[in-house]
Amino acid sequence: MKLSKIILSFVSALAILLSSSVTSFAKVVGDKIVLGSAISLTGKYSSNGVHTQNGYNMAVDRINSMGGVKVGGKTYKFEIIYYDDESNPKRAAQLAERLIKQDGVEYMLGPYSSGLTKAIAPVTEKYGVPMVEANGASRSLFTKGYKYLFAVLAPANLYLDVAIDLAVEKNGGKPVSVAMAFEQDAFSQDVRLGVLEAIERTGSKKVIDDKLPKELNDMAATLAKVKAVKPDVLVVSGHTKGALTAIRQISEMKVDVPMLAMTHCDAAKLSKQHGKNSQYALCASQWHKTLTYKDNFFKDGMTYDADFTKEFGYAPPYQAAESSAALLVFKDAFERANSFDKVKLRDALADTNMQTFYGNIKFAPGGQNVDKPMVLFQVMCDGDKCENKVVAPTKWASAELIHPIPSWSQR
Amino acid sequence: MKNNNIILYAAILIFGVLAPFVLPAFKVQLSILCILIVLALTWNIQGGEMGYNTFGNILFYGLGMYLCASVQVGMFFPLAEWTESGGEKTFVHTPSQFFQGMAYGLIIAAIVPTIVAGLIGYAILGLRGHYFAICTLGLGVAAGEISGGIEIIGAGQGFTTPPFPEVGDLEARGEFFYFLSFLVLVLTFIAVKSIYSTRFKLILNAIRDNEDKAEAMGIQTMKYKIIGWMISAFFCGLAGGIMGGLVGYIDSTDVAFDGREMGVFMVLMAILGGKGTLWGPVIGATIFHIFKEGFWTFFLGWQYVALGVLIVVIVIYFPEGIMGWLREKYPEKFGEVVDEADRKAQVELK
Repeated sequence: MKLSKIILSFVSALAILLSSSVTSFAKVVGDKIVLGSAISLTGKYSSNGVHTQNGYNMAVDRINSMGGVKVGGKTYKFEIIYYDDESNPKRAAQLAERLIKQDGVEYMLGPYSSGLTKAIAPVTEKYGVPMVEANGASRSLFTKGYKYLFAVLAPANLYLDVAIDLAVEKNGGKPVSVAMAFEQDAFSQDVRLGVLEAIERTGSKKVIDDKLPKELNDMAATLAKVKAVKPDVLVVSGHTKGALTAIRQISEMKVDVPMLAMTHCDAAKLSKQHGKNSQYALCASQWHKTLTYKDNFFKDGMTYDADFTKEFGYAPPYQAAESSAALLVFKDAFERANSFDKVKLRDALADTNMQTFYGNIKFAPGGQNVDKPMVLFQVMCDGDKCENKVVAPTKWASAELIHPIPSWSQR
Repeated sequence: MKNNNIILYAAILIFGVLAPFVLPAFKVQLSILCILIVLALTWNIQGGEMGYNTFGNILFYGLGMYLCASVQVGMFFPLAEWTESGGEKTFVHTPSQFFQGMAYGLIIAAIVPTIVAGLIGYAILGLRGHYFAICTLGLGVAAGEISGGIEIIGAGQGFTTPPFPEVGDLEARGEFFYFLSFLVLVLTFIAVKSIYSTRFKLILNAIRDNEDKAEAMGIQTMKYKIIGWMISAFFCGLAGGIMGGLVGYIDSTDVAFDGREMGVFMVLMAILGGKGTLWGPVIGATIFHIFKEGFWTFFLGWQYVALGVLIVVIVIYFPEGIMGWLREKYPEKFGEVVDEADRKAQVELK
């Protein structure tokens, strides 16, 4: 068998190829602090992945142009190495390993979505690499005892439980009936748990509890049930696609429900894409431009909104804002630690207590941000122009909640 | 001749054993390469030797993954509490629990899919051609959706597999999973190679070439088809179990029953290397993996376009795979006797 000779030379060629391609550069190169991130540029989370990336890039540019990061009397600039995780947890875990082992990254920024963060966290934890993440809200991330994971956002179970409270309040304090439809993924299922707790707390009743497939393109079956059962509240969560599908089919099927509570309305650009059809949708959000938080880099929400829109051509959803905030947290921690040591940086991160344009940031021992409440906004239209207006909590409310939603025949 | 073979195997074995130390940064990629080769080798038993294009092997892979992790957790802790979303408790495996759990988990991860393959095979291996392919495609999709609804294995929340215990240094985890996957690769290769030198392989080939004739000759084709599938399932289950531990997080449709990626990749790799050969899947998987990793580095955002181009190139220029192409070019190296004058005469005739 001469064939084995061919294979032999093939194997040795492979070995040479692999061994010559080991390039490892350090976490701090010259005047650059290198951060790593696996992000969903393709796949089912690609639109939110891009929001996240834009948020990161915007903050990097801003921090670098405003003097960079001062460590040990020297000024450094941020730089991010990105990889595409294809919205796939397996890929994400592999890329985290690659960023750390091959690219020598020692500080990580989070990916988009809870599922992917769940896949990356064990890797960063193993190597003791501090990760500030802005898009993994599932509560189970914060109960695993991770020491190097810091999330600038409020956990997922707090997204929509307020909506149930609000519905009960509008119902004169009496329990309501709730229809739920959640995508089968880590984030949405955690939102569901929060809603379930609220239902139990208020003595309300769940009348529909549907699990929807990933890549949510059709929920007509659930909506047909909603039409028949007539619940007081319909809760839907399934990232951007879920929000778009829900609004599209609710308007097509003319489903009347007094309250429609969702997530990801701003990431899906609902008010732009669906205009009046999305009117009255109530949405959970980590951030809204009208909130009155301030910092030195982006000034406030309104300025961030204007700058972001100028640079990327669309209004920033909260996914972008929280991602920008992650960089501010890193800068702050580097300067307080005054060192590139991972452990010192981790301790500095744990002590974070700051205000950004996006909100206050202070981490609980589990890593979640405990100093920033969620807001609910409602899509409100004036003629053909639709806008998201904050309706709860009352501290930031810029409009009164419209309840119940007028039926389709009256619109 | 024989000497050459021994040198080859020794070289590969030495490379395999030394690889994680020579290329410490690439341990995860190398482990995944081993898993990919196992999947391609086992797919080739059906797709290459038997002529049954299955998309269902991903079922055994995913099953193995969930089973291994469930056993590993369930042996020591209540599984439902482990996977419960938003659970407040933290469970930690001691090193002995971890390795013991992994060992038993892998045994179950190999045995159960084998049995399942036997049962399902009995039901659907009567289908042929496209019907069989479509049916198996459905198996993987259905398994993904069903497992995404089972609470005890985490449902849509996913299943975080036990973290590697604190033994040895930082490299210990990578080395452990690498050697585990390399071991499974070696076992699979030995098993497949020894099968290919028996009458069993000839029967599979007979089924591929003409199933009715094979049956007419008195071969119980159903029996052999089922056994062939069970062998594949055994190793796919093992591969899945290891992959679950390596990734650290199991998602029903994206990691376990990942028909869209792994399920398609195993077919592609076997075809790229040359189906119906022993070495084809090995070479195909290796080249595929290197290409894929390269695309991800140099064509960020375009990797699927690049992958698509690769597939088109394979189909147009290497329809028989790399091994098939080599065989056509250098038939004498494959032990085929070529009469030059005869070949020339044929060419001229055309």
